[in-house]
Amino acid sequence: MNAMSPTPSKAYDLNFARWVYENVDGGDRMALCMQCGTCSGSCPIGTQMDHGPRKLFMMIRAGMKDAVLSSNTLWNCVSCYNCVVRCPRQVPVTYILHDLAHVAVREGYAQAKESDNARFAKAFWWSAAKYGRTDERLVTAKYYFSFGVGEGIKRGMANQKIAMGMVKTKRMHLGMPHKVKNTGELHAILAKAAEMEAKKHGAK
Amino acid sequence: MTTKTMSYYPGCSSQASAVHLDTSLRAVMGKLGITLRDVEDWNCCGASVGHVDGGHLGMYALNGRNLAAAQAQGPEDFVTPCAACYLNSHYHNEKIRGDEALKAEVNEVLAAGGKSYDGSLHVRHSCEVLVNDIGMDAVKAQVTKPLSGLKVAGWVGCQTVRPFAKTERGGNYDAYDDPKFLDDFISACGADAVPFKGKTKCCGGSVSVMSPDKTLHLMKDILDEVKETGAEVVVTPCPLCQTNLEMYQPMINEKFGTDFNFPVMFYSQLMAVAFGLDAEKDAALHQHLIPPQPVLARAK
Repeated sequence: MNAMSPTPSKAYDLNFARWVYENVDGGDRMALCMQCGTCSGSCPIGTQMDHGPRKLFMMIRAGMKDAVLSSNTLWNCVSCYNCVVRCPRQVPVTYILHDLAHVAVREGYAQAKESDNARFAKAFWWSAAKYGRTDERLVTAKYYFSFGVGEGIKRGMANQKIAMGMVKTKRMHLGMPHKVKNTGELHAILAKAAEMEAKKHGAK
Repeated sequence: MTTKTMSYYPGCSSQASAVHLDTSLRAVMGKLGITLRDVEDWNCCGASVGHVDGGHLGMYALNGRNLAAAQAQGPEDFVTPCAACYLNSHYHNEKIRGDEALKAEVNEVLAAGGKSYDGSLHVRHSCEVLVNDIGMDAVKAQVTKPLSGLKVAGWVGCQTVRPFAKTERGGNYDAYDDPKFLDDFISACGADAVPFKGKTKCCGGSVSVMSPDKTLHLMKDILDEVKETGAEVVVTPCPLCQTNLEMYQPMINEKFGTDFNFPVMFYSQLMAVAFGLDAEKDAALHQHLIPPQPVLARAK
């Protein structure tokens, strides 16, 4: 992926479509989309999206950058990959949505800060990058409290019974997080990856 | 019996919500002649949300580090029981193998930690190993306590077959929409695999963890279909499917006025029971929110 996606000079800016074709993972196949709607029809959660994938792809072609990167479609995807295996043109729909979600984060769109998925993903990456492992307890807590202290406590209380059940069945441990042994090495690798990504996109 | 040593990537849930998958799979694979050697100092794969903050290279860094560690320890097979670990390891492995420029870029990242990877390992799902390397005859040969009369709904879920039902050695180990392997596992244990049309329906995955209000209806649909089949227990290969469908049943009952109380087990636990292994130490039956023992006790 290269550079920032172009800022449109008008509502319909075809440069954005070209940028997606060239820079988003799987974007090269998106040009082959024939708008059949198999993806949207296969989506278990399509009814809760602003736009199903079929429509979102048409919006990309129309260059509607802001509407695409503000769409909750990028954040409600459950990653079931039904659309990927069913697409008659082999468009890797899920991968494209994932990549666009990352573009929305990089470019600071509101949904990329406020949506449940964006908050959860931030908590998740924090744990993966810091410890090298996902600590389900800390990720969930960090996610709940991203909505504020009051909401965090409320959500924690609402799920107390589940948490206690998981502790009782030894599926949630008490004590320090699990982590990789060689955290220094992991951090060096991730720092290098972040540095190379930043170089590609131009420092923000 | 053929014996084989494979690198084993248990994934983060093996130390938490899906510890009973890890325990039972290790026990079962041992009986079936597969020696699992843990990937040295493995890390998280990034699951379904790592890309959001981690970006492209962040995901390649995580998955590349695991593959590099596995390569350094020898066996050419990299096997994992987790749907998300399988998807991410498989995807990034194929990409690294197929693109020299990308391979160089990933190796530049890995070199920061003194590691390297050439793309030559084979990423496998433990179910695929059971299908292609072990086979159902070998599974049946280990069954000492067949679960006769037990009606089981085999629920495959999503990422165990989608998008990678295809194996890295070519061909598909099963179908995307109507896979049969799980029914074969259940039958091999002597139980009845009921015809279950919801077998590849999605539980909502990580969206169910973060926003169950958006996805409880998906799990309710699955449970409705389980009920229609007359099954007494659900069996799945996926760690998150197991946790979601089990822990949310009380919330689903509250929201929809239903009375679901289906135990949800892993195929490896069913095999451990049918192999006559220890109910707790090997099958980890005590680690369920909805205990499966009463239903299993009815089988004979």
